[in-house]
Amino acid sequence: MRGQAKLSLFFISAIFACFSFGQEPQHFYNVDKEIKVEGTIQKIIMEPRYKNTAPFLILVLEKKDTQQRYNIEVSPVWFFDHDFHKGENVVVIGSLYSTKEKTQNIIAREMRFRGETLVLRDKHGFPNWRGGPMKKRGGRKGKRF
Amino acid sequence: MIAQGLKEKLTIAVEDRLLRRGQPLLFESGKRGFAPFLSFMEEKMKKLTLYAMFILFLSSSLMADSFSLSFFQNMTNNLFQNSYAEPDQVSTLNFYVDKNFSQVSIFTQGNYAYLFENPNLTYYVHDLGLDYLHPINQKTALYFSLAGRGAFWRSDYSDFNYFSVNFFSALKTYLSQTSILKANYSLEYKDYKYSIFDFLSNSIHASMDKYFQTKTTLRAEMNWGYKYFLHPFLSQEVILVDENRYFLGGNGKGKGKSSGARQYQYVMSTKGEGKGIQAFSLTGLIAQGLGNKVGLRLSGMKQWTLSGNNPFTFIEEFYAVENPSYDRFSWAGYELGTLLTVLMPWNIQLKMGYTMTNKEFPGIESLSLEGDSLGIIRKDERKRFEVEAEKNFSKFSLFFSYFYVDNNSNDPFFEWKGHFFSAGIEWNISLGERR
Repeated sequence: MRGQAKLSLFFISAIFACFSFGQEPQHFYNVDKEIKVEGTIQKIIMEPRYKNTAPFLILVLEKKDTQQRYNIEVSPVWFFDHDFHKGENVVVIGSLYSTKEKTQNIIAREMRFRGETLVLRDKHGFPNWRGGPMKKRGGRKGKRF
Repeated sequence: MIAQGLKEKLTIAVEDRLLRRGQPLLFESGKRGFAPFLSFMEEKMKKLTLYAMFILFLSSSLMADSFSLSFFQNMTNNLFQNSYAEPDQVSTLNFYVDKNFSQVSIFTQGNYAYLFENPNLTYYVHDLGLDYLHPINQKTALYFSLAGRGAFWRSDYSDFNYFSVNFFSALKTYLSQTSILKANYSLEYKDYKYSIFDFLSNSIHASMDKYFQTKTTLRAEMNWGYKYFLHPFLSQEVILVDENRYFLGGNGKGKGKSSGARQYQYVMSTKGEGKGIQAFSLTGLIAQGLGNKVGLRLSGMKQWTLSGNNPFTFIEEFYAVENPSYDRFSWAGYELGTLLTVLMPWNIQLKMGYTMTNKEFPGIESLSLEGDSLGIIRKDERKRFEVEAEKNFSKFSLFFSYFYVDNNSNDPFFEWKGHFFSAGIEWNISLGERR
């Protein structure tokens, strides 16, 4: 019985491990290209960004002084968690990259608005976001009073 | 003679319950327990540890996208939230793992809590589920989630052990770039060890907001919910339990006691039907941004009971237990609140809030401290002040919170004040790709 259990555990692990291979992301968070931008939200959309992930929440941000526009990649799930509106002022810290269409994109690491800070990634660019509306109900920060 | 007869009934009822549960019913509050490490030596804790290790092993096999661990230390001077204040400390340990597969993700999390003064209330809660995010177009998305939960208390609260299934669906759409419409539906089934609490509930929520260039957001919300207790009555005729016994529930004719010093009698009917309670609420909110670093919110809510009463006459609040008779369905009244969020130097987030609630509990009678009916429906007025601070570092976050609650009730047992402190740390370990 114990041998069967070990064998089952091995197969379960192997099956799940298979899912982790073969994923080719298109671009990564580059810490050397990190910038800080303060601007006003001009547009809010959801669109696919990476293979095998849910569509991202994208904010089109216009920088205050230069009127330069940036596409800010927020995260897939935060479309439901936070309500952004056109006209809201936001400070974004993230990694800048350009596309073939010459648009300026920022992979957001941290966002500040309305007296709150949203930490989306750690300093190396690994995602911090976890869970949609349902998952966060469970009190993932531990049971508190 | 009557007293003798009642005493015999009481003895039989209690013995029956002792046999059914296979353990003493005495509530051991105030008794100092074992250190957390020693309790781990027990058989159940050993199993729990092995289970946690299995989860960790699976998470590494899964190449989970994220993994987090958190530890919180909580303190209060009124654990049971009644007039007989009892202090305690609670240590909680939580883990969370998730993995994304395109638009579907799976997640699991566990939470273990140890109570230092009341170790027989120590518990473990585990969640497992999957969710799916489906964009309809650039402005609209659907979200579905199916989750299961198991909650396991040690002896004193094992009647509240449950398994639950929850289905959640949500729609969010931008009516314009400054206005959002949200709607969601939730279905929950809970199966308790003590089956009189079993229920099925449905909830619908809808909200619409509008953002103005003055940095003002207006929001209106509507909530409807129906909770159906599947079989909230016992088949026994009459049960009387003396004041020193721990017991649960009733059907509107008696009371139970699990903490404090009020003497109760317990009477249960022979009815076998289910009982539902239906509630409806409207909420209005105004939020004002004051620069990028300060936000202020004011909100008001009014709730009505559309039909039904709570089938249990005894309402007790215990911080770690979702009381089957004290939830969002069980009251009618209003709530007023204000919340200030400030981004402090060193990027510390500070939240300060004040909430005032006025609740009436249909079907719940107020009792004197001796357990005699006062002939009025229980009504509470609660004031709550809270402060929360959060500081995020690269790999971990620190949390601190303090609550002060002043609860005035026409039931003297629920006249109480309490202080609640909490401090904790959360580690975030990213295992996924840096995209």
